[in-house]
Amino acid sequence: MTNDEFDKFLDSALKRHLQALQNDKAAAARVLNRLAGALPRQHMALWRWPAVLLDWQFAPAWPRMAALAACLAFGFAIGLSGLDRGIERGAGAGNLDAGALVFEPESLTGGRP
Amino acid sequence: MDDSDEALMARVARGDERAFRELARRHVPVMLGLARRILGNAADAEDVAQEAMLRVWTQAPRWQPLAALRTWLSRVVVNLCLDRKRKAAWVGLEAAGEIADPAPLAGESAEVAERERLLAAAIAELPARQRAAIVLSYTEGMSNAEVADVLDTTVSAVETLLVRGKQNLRRALAPVIGQE
Repeated sequence: MTNDEFDKFLDSALKRHLQALQNDKAAAARVLNRLAGALPRQHMALWRWPAVLLDWQFAPAWPRMAALAACLAFGFAIGLSGLDRGIERGAGAGNLDAGALVFEPESLTGGRP
Repeated sequence: MDDSDEALMARVARGDERAFRELARRHVPVMLGLARRILGNAADAEDVAQEAMLRVWTQAPRWQPLAALRTWLSRVVVNLCLDRKRKAAWVGLEAAGEIADPAPLAGESAEVAERERLLAAAIAELPARQRAAIVLSYTEGMSNAEVADVLDTTVSAVETLLVRGKQNLRRALAPVIGQE
């Protein structure tokens, strides 16, 4: 057998042999059946979270519900802890009555500045 | 509704189990065949096909359509097969007894039957990557570039794998076909 003949033989034999190993339908059905059960948790990519939050479809989906619940809880916690009040106090100017400084009469004489 | 692989993957990425089952129905038979040809073992091939499809489910949110889904899935299956072969001792096709050709060889000569037997044994003895390259090239109808993509290597490396694989097969079959 020449090299060319051998190559042809090998090509056809490989194709024939490997095609003969076609999977049977029963095996595929078994795999599909195993996949029909509960599926594991999906790995969520971090870059998908903004997309999840910006997706304004009104179909309930647990990531959106979870994000909404988290936002609510976070806001509630800030409200309870008074963090926002602290910021307001820090500014100071909000509580200042400038009119009292300018128009307060002199306590003894009653004179105005 | 668009039922292309990419559209189904987009739905799977959003957690749509029905889309996943449709994708599995579409690809499991092919992936099962690929795994079986590389591993030479039907039971292991079923495990690999199942694991590959579960990876499709878990990795779907991270999947980006840079390559065709079939190519990506083939890569997952091939890698799982290579991992499995690295971990477990090889069970030859003869020992596994799973090389039965659906078309019986009754009418063919003993010489042809012997060639087939030797070919099966020779394929079983090939190094895993050579075997994977031959399977992808001969049965999946992939070009060398596609095979390179699946095996995560270069086209020239695939050509080398194919040439060396054929040389090994030629060496193994030389006694029966009378070629030195």
